[in-house]
Amino acid sequence: MINMLLAFENLTPMNPEVLKASLNILWQGLLAIFIVIALIIVAVSVTTDLIAKAKAYKEKNGEFSIKKFFKKK
Amino acid sequence: MDYLIEGLNVLTPGQAVMWCIGGLLIFLAIKKDMEPALLLPMGFGAILVNLPLSPVIAESGILKSLFEVGIEASEAMPLLLFIGIGAMIDFGPLLSNPKLFILGGAAQLGIFVTIILAALIGFPIEDAASIGIIGAADGPTAIMVSQVLKSNYTAAIIVVAYSYMALVPIVQPAVVKLCTTKKERMIKMNYTSTQVTKLTRIMFPIIVTLIAGLIAPESLSLVGMLMFGNLIRECGVLQSLSETAQTTFSNIITLLLGITIAFQMQAEAFLRLETLVIMALGLFAFVFDTIGGVFCAKFMNLFTKNKINPIIGAAGISAFPMAARVAEKLGIQEDPSNHLLMHAVGVNVSGQIASAIVGGLIIGLVL
Repeated sequence: MINMLLAFENLTPMNPEVLKASLNILWQGLLAIFIVIALIIVAVSVTTDLIAKAKAYKEKNGEFSIKKFFKKK
Repeated sequence: MDYLIEGLNVLTPGQAVMWCIGGLLIFLAIKKDMEPALLLPMGFGAILVNLPLSPVIAESGILKSLFEVGIEASEAMPLLLFIGIGAMIDFGPLLSNPKLFILGGAAQLGIFVTIILAALIGFPIEDAASIGIIGAADGPTAIMVSQVLKSNYTAAIIVVAYSYMALVPIVQPAVVKLCTTKKERMIKMNYTSTQVTKLTRIMFPIIVTLIAGLIAPESLSLVGMLMFGNLIRECGVLQSLSETAQTTFSNIITLLLGITIAFQMQAEAFLRLETLVIMALGLFAFVFDTIGGVFCAKFMNLFTKNKINPIIGAAGISAFPMAARVAEKLGIQEDPSNHLLMHAVGVNVSGQIASAIVGGLIIGLVL
């Protein structure tokens, strides 16, 4: 297999360092993407929730005021 | 009269082969309707750059100049295309059910697994990472990553990425059926159209940009342009700009991108045995993306009351909107009353964001 691959112009036999680097990319990349996704989900949920509450407050009490909104809560 | 056959005298067999490959791309674009906006200019470009003594690739030739300015210097073309893509995307279905975002992330698994496989085969890490990004199922991201990492195989990677994107309706159903039971494919998901406020829609691109910029700064060019395009769409005061970004602007950039990428399709750089290996690895990446999304949905079902149909996990591959359509079709095949489209679109657009973020992350991790 390795001999066959050596026939390829720019391929070298498997380098443990490259393999190690690719494994690092795997765990660091997957961890980072899920952290970003978790943060986006939290941020979107909080924003949606706040906007819905503010809307409900406005419908109930007329003019919306941030000061009154948080005081009321 | 020698000057009349000067070109013929220096024609190489490789160049003739590239004409055939160009012809094949044109055939696939016209006859099979496979990504015609891109494969057609690439096909024609492949012929153009493989004509002996072609002035378009000379020192100040048009394609060489376009490549240097539009792709090599700043990756401007793929990034600008992301503005158009962002303007096309409606994030409403995702905002109605944000947890679908997890499936978009899981469906990037193929990228990472392919990087490992490419490294095992013997590719240097820059090339392995660029090959893995074929699994992003996203042309501009693949172009950007392979260019920034200075891969030796940019043209092959782009051709393979766009070809497999067009083959999603063939590749994905087989993989989904292998990974799921009939009972799982028949899970019904009710879609309650939650009203997403305009303010949420406007806040979303800004929030995503801020988070991606802080956690994965390398992804900011891609994510930023994508979100900028979406902000133009959602702000409500730039209607004509939004329409232009979605249509004329995107078309022009795609056209220029296609013909410019062809600059890399010169016979001596493209006709290598490694190109065949890259084709196999690209397929591997698409298969593992699909597996990642499907199994993540199955895993989520262990903890959720409202079960997720694993088919929609496959839509996390960011080939937009084809992957969502494939999921809808697969759902209907099992049960004609089971419409998964809106859920699949939510997963599909999350895959679009996730792939751009992963592209940036990989650049950051490799460099």
